[in-house]
Amino acid sequence: MPDNTPYMIAAYIIVAVILVGYAVLLYRRTLKP
Amino acid sequence: MKILKTGRWITVSGLALLAAVYVRALAFTPVERTQGMAQKIFYIHLPSAIWAEGAMIFVGVASIFFLFLKDARLDRFAEASAEVGLVFCTLVLTTGPIWGKPIWGTWWTWDARLTLTLLLFLMYVGYVLLRGAVTDPGLRARYAAVLGICGMSLVPFVHLSVYMFRTLHPQPIVIKPSAPSLPGEMLTTFLFSFVVFSILYVGFVTQRYALALLRERAEPHA
Repeated sequence: MPDNTPYMIAAYIIVAVILVGYAVLLYRRTLKP
Repeated sequence: MKILKTGRWITVSGLALLAAVYVRALAFTPVERTQGMAQKIFYIHLPSAIWAEGAMIFVGVASIFFLFLKDARLDRFAEASAEVGLVFCTLVLTTGPIWGKPIWGTWWTWDARLTLTLLLFLMYVGYVLLRGAVTDPGLRARYAAVLGICGMSLVPFVHLSVYMFRTLHPQPIVIKPSAPSLPGEMLTTFLFSFVVFSILYVGFVTQRYALALLRERAEPHA
């Protein structure tokens, strides 16, 4: 079995950062529309 | 504003459930033998891809109805769905190459599926830029609706590209005419992830819709 765990970890971290980041961005934008 | 609070709650619930998806995918789903841990990227890549395409379909359908009915709610929904679709399309174009590097040996190739997904991304970018560039609300809504319909017409080509062209991208294993060819545990994890990404789409769109409404109220002449 190939060891490509770092790629998987990177993908999961990036997805979490983008989704949480967009949620925070939306929250801030709705505070000051 | 009730719709804004509802959107926030749905989003927070979606993000909490996303953590549960991570736990299930990483700790309670078997590792695929040939691809190893990189296969687990599939559980976040495919739901993102479905909503990157689905959001543009909603933009197009709302745009068609807007051109006939001139209902501002449809325009607001299309605006919201396009921005959220752009976020999901970004996820697809990020997770895809990260999977491609260890499995294909390259981050990117000008394969039909990849290239058409990039075009879909550019369509989203164009849509968002157009909305920001046109100041007249009536013109903006009409121009955006036309572009939204063009974007929707691209989606079938993105989805069917793996059948229409010789591509490097894997053939569909879940969304296809026959039954999904995925072991039960992996299919359950995928379906759970898809539900959570759907909740996030609804939460984001609801909040973005509320933001458009707030902006209209703040600038009644804009």
